[in-house]
Order: sequence, then structure tokens, then C-alpha cells
Amino acid sequence: MRRVFWAVFRRELAIAGRQRGALVHQLLFFVLIVALFPLGTNTDQTVLIAVAPAVLWMGVLLSVLLSLNGVFRADHEDGTLTQYLLAGEPLAVIALAKMIVHWLASAALLVVAGPVLMLMLGVSLDAWPAMILTLALGTPTLVFVGAIAAALTLRLPRAGLLLGLLVLPLYVPVLIFGAGVVRAAIVGLPYAGAVYIMAALCVLAITLGPWAIAAALRIGLDA
Amino acid sequence: MTSFTMGKSLRRRFHRLGSLPYFYDVSARWAIWLAVPAVVCIAYTVIAGLVLVPPDYQQGDVFRILYIHVPSAWLSLFAYTTMAGAGVVALVWRLKLAEIFIVAAAPVGASFTGLALVTGAIWGEPTWGTYWVWDARLTSELILLFLYLGVIALHQSIASPRTAGRACALLSIVGVINVPIIHYSVVWWTTLHQGATLSLSGGSHMESDMLWPLLAGALGFSCLFGWLTLWGMRVQLLWRERRSRWVMRRIVNG
Amino acid sequence: MTRTRRRRLLLVMCLLVGLGGACALILIAFRQDMLYFHEPSAIAAGDVPINTRFRVGGLVAAGSVERPGDGLSVQFKISDCTATVPVRYRGTLPDLFREGQGVIAYGKLMADGEFVADRILAKHDSSYMSPDTAQALKAGTSDACLPANRQYSR
Repeated sequence: MRRVFWAVFRRELAIAGRQRGALVHQLLFFVLIVALFPLGTNTDQTVLIAVAPAVLWMGVLLSVLLSLNGVFRADHEDGTLTQYLLAGEPLAVIALAKMIVHWLASAALLVVAGPVLMLMLGVSLDAWPAMILTLALGTPTLVFVGAIAAALTLRLPRAGLLLGLLVLPLYVPVLIFGAGVVRAAIVGLPYAGAVYIMAALCVLAITLGPWAIAAALRIGLDA
Repeated sequence: MTSFTMGKSLRRRFHRLGSLPYFYDVSARWAIWLAVPAVVCIAYTVIAGLVLVPPDYQQGDVFRILYIHVPSAWLSLFAYTTMAGAGVVALVWRLKLAEIFIVAAAPVGASFTGLALVTGAIWGEPTWGTYWVWDARLTSELILLFLYLGVIALHQSIASPRTAGRACALLSIVGVINVPIIHYSVVWWTTLHQGATLSLSGGSHMESDMLWPLLAGALGFSCLFGWLTLWGMRVQLLWRERRSRWVMRRIVNG
Repeated sequence: MTRTRRRRLLLVMCLLVGLGGACALILIAFRQDMLYFHEPSAIAAGDVPINTRFRVGGLVAAGSVERPGDGLSVQFKISDCTATVPVRYRGTLPDLFREGQGVIAYGKLMADGEFVADRILAKHDSSYMSPDTAQALKAGTSDACLPANRQYSR
């Protein structure tokens, strides 16, 4: 089981390493969403600070959602997924390895980029720890929960639109707590409680997520 | 009867439910047993809520909308929980009826959620001073509506009914995380929405004159949910099995 | 123990550790304060932001409501039984706005310590009774701060 985990882990890492362009694209997408916002509204500093947590989190949500759209497609098209299914090894372990690499390769960059963008929106440095903490706890949850729906819609036509419909409601707790923590940090309210809840959601998503992804893959391949 | 044979006959009854023609025939009889209490209870609640109950000491007559708002909000949560429960049954025991239940219950649950949101908005304007606030209880109820709509959308976009049923089962299970968040949102966060008026453990903060119509409403709405879902299941069943012989025979015989 | 058995045991252990960890984190979270508004005592202590809109929550202090001028503006004090903050507001008030009632005000804190609200929301408690019962109950209690314990308990 451990051997399977590391084999998949190394394979995914190698693939991600060869597609470095995709990583940059996702980061650019995130930066663009956030950067377009001040251009669309007026550049009044109080307005920007008030909406900054929401804008940053919406950017994160959308970038993760887009990155998940094709997460299983290549594996499905070249038959790797079918091999995984037939391998007789727990599919959940394979899913766990795959999603960890996916997080490292795509969402981890957002954790670094988020606070920098926050500074550009005029939020004071005091809110930095809150932003980094919530991004680090929130993005794994987003990846694991989103992958369940991505696996369900694996073979459907127009899967992208449906994926958004299914996943965004499930992302709401992360958005509420994540943006809430940052907003609380900006106005100086206590926010430890919401951080603990985000941590709990993260742990839950990592432990139960792989099982749900495995079940979803089996259903999705039938569709 | 010994306990052994009783267990055996119970198990036989359970297994017979796996037979779709049997369920189709017997559910027509069950529907009546749900429809009668639903109509009676809801009629009593409406009359009592509008006429018999005294006005509230603070909110006056406005509070009467509670008799629709609270039961539909309860049912919105209850329906989703039963869907998730049926989802577990559908995935673990591969029971076709459980899949059909999820598919049939989703639109009914979505309607109750929509009703709770609309009545809540109508109630909120005069009492809180706003139709809508983005606080925890209201927002999470709105998300529940989107979860229902997601299940419906997923079911519509997968062609094979078996796969669609299992996909919806999994999605309902994943979404059930939202139910405790809604339920406890008024306890965890100090929000505008009031706390629970009734609780199973503690006493209720409501006069008994006001309480009975509310409980009747909850019972009536539950029966209504069961009734509508049962009919939805029957329709689903006919559509799914439209090529099978037992459906043909029932259509030919009327 | 066979290999499959050992593997299954390992997976179940991981599952239990994860679930236990999540439960522990949620229990810790409930011990923390979770507020979405500031209380008047926090304003008195000075730990509120300046130049940012925020919410103040508390009870309308008894005998503090004044309507100077044209009757559209209203001035009152929000109290949490340890401190009070004066509030100025112009606009229509919700039906439930009255002395002793829980309210939440959105707005900005001025330099002179007055809170200028642009929105007032009234919170109602979870008890329902007829006016007669309320009258009978009221005779028993006179402390204006009493409902606070029930409304804002957490």
C-alpha cells in the first residue's frame, strides 16, 4: 500500500514537473482575477479593503475549480485510470497521492501569492498571518472536495459548467470562514474559532475525501 | 410466534421491498395513509395559526407566518438528511429504491427550502428591518437550496439512470456536512436569526396554545413530504422500468 | 495477521485518527469567541478599528431613545450592561426597535466617540407568548439587563 502511494506520488510529481507552464497559467489567472477587481470598481482604499478578503477568496475558489476541471481527464484518456481501478490496490490511497501532488503543484502557489495580492489591495500587514493560515488550511479542503465532483462528472459532456454548479455550494463553508477570518483580522476581532473550524474541515476532507473520490471515480467511469 | 420466525418474516418483508412491482402496488395504498393526515394537519395549522392563536406579545400578528416558515425550514433539513441516509443505503446495499427515493425527494426538498427562504424574507422585513441579511442561518439555508439544485442538475445530466442515481447518492452524502452547519449556525454564531424556540431536551419558549398548531404543522408537512415523494418515486419507477413487462401489464390493465 | 487484514486495520486506524482529530478541533473551536459584531465594552476599551465600518451589537439602553428635530433622526445608547455607546441614526427603524431590545447597528465610529449608524437591525428573542402572559411575566422581573443573558448567551 505504501509502495503504491509513493509510486503514484512520484509519477504525478514527474508529470507536474514537466508541465511547468500550467502552474504559471493558474497563478496568472488568480492574479488577473484579483487585479481586475480594482479596475472594475473605483480605487477608493476603504472600499478595496472592505472587499479584499472576499475578492481574494473568490479568486482562489475559481482557480482551484478551473484546475480541477481536467484533473482526471488525461489519466482517463490514456487508460491509466482503468489500470488503477483494476490494480486491486485501494483506490483511495491512489486518489490521496494524486490529490496531494495536485495541491502541491497548483494550490500551494496560491497560498504564497494570496498575501502579496492582499498587500496590493491595501490591506495592512497585520492581516497577513490570518490570510496565510486560512489559505493553507482552506485550499486542501477545496482540492479534495472539488475532486469528488470532478470524478463524478469525468465523462460528461459540458462537465465544466456542471462542475461549478456542484462544487461551488460545497465550497461555501470554506469561503465564509476563510473570508470571515481575514475580515475579522482586519478589524481586530478574535478569529481563532473559525480557524479551528477550517482546520477541522481540512482534516475531514483529507481523511474522508479520498474514499469519496474513489467511489466517485467508480461511478464516474460508468457514466 | 417465536422471535426467530418474527425476525424471518420481518426480513422477508424487507426483501420484498426490493421487488419493484410489489413496491409500486403497495405504495398506492401507503399514499392514502400519508395524504389524509397531511391534509387534516395542515388545514388545522392554517386555521389555528390565522384565527385561534393569540397574537405575540412583541411581534403582534406578524409572527403567524411562523406556522408555515418553521415547518418548511425543518422539512428542508429533514428531507436532505433522509436523502443522505438513502444515499448510504443506495451505495452500500445497492438498493434501487433508495436511489429512486433520492431522485424523487430532491425537488420536494428544494421546494420546502424555497418556501422557508421566501417566508423568512417576508417575516424579516417587518421584524428585523430587512428582507435579507447575509448571516449564517440565512446563507446556509440558501446553500442548502443550491445543494438540492445540484443533485437535480446532476441527475438530469447523466443519461444512464442507475449511474445517475448512484452519483446523486454520493453527492447527497458529501453535501450533508452542511446540515449541522445550518442547524447549529444560530447557536455557534450570534446572528440576527433567533435561537431554537423548541428543543427536545429543554423546555420550549412557547405557550402551549401556540405550540400545538406548530407541532401539527410539522407533522402535516412531514406527511406531505412523504406523500409527494412517494408519488415522485412511483413516477420515477414507471419511467425507469418502462420497458419491463410488469409496467406494460399494469398499463394495459389500467 | 494476513497482509490484507493488516492493510485494512491500517486504513481504519487512519480514518479514526482523522475523524478524532476533526472532532477535537471542532470542540476547541467552540471554546473560542465567535462574534460578528463588537460589543460596547470593546469600544470602551478601545480595541475597535478606526476608519472602517463595523457592527455594534447590544441592548437599547432603557430611557435613552431621543428623537430630536424632524423625527426621522434618532439617538439612543447601545449597552451590554458594562458599557454603553451613543448611536446616531437617520432613517426608518424596524418594528421591533424599542428600549431593552437587542439591536445590531452598522456604521462608523466618530472621533468624539459617537457611533453613526446607517443601518439598524432588531433581533428578536426565541420566546413567543400572548400579551397577557407577557404582562404577568413582566410583573416578576424588573431588571433591564436580564434579557441580555438569554439573548446573547453563547
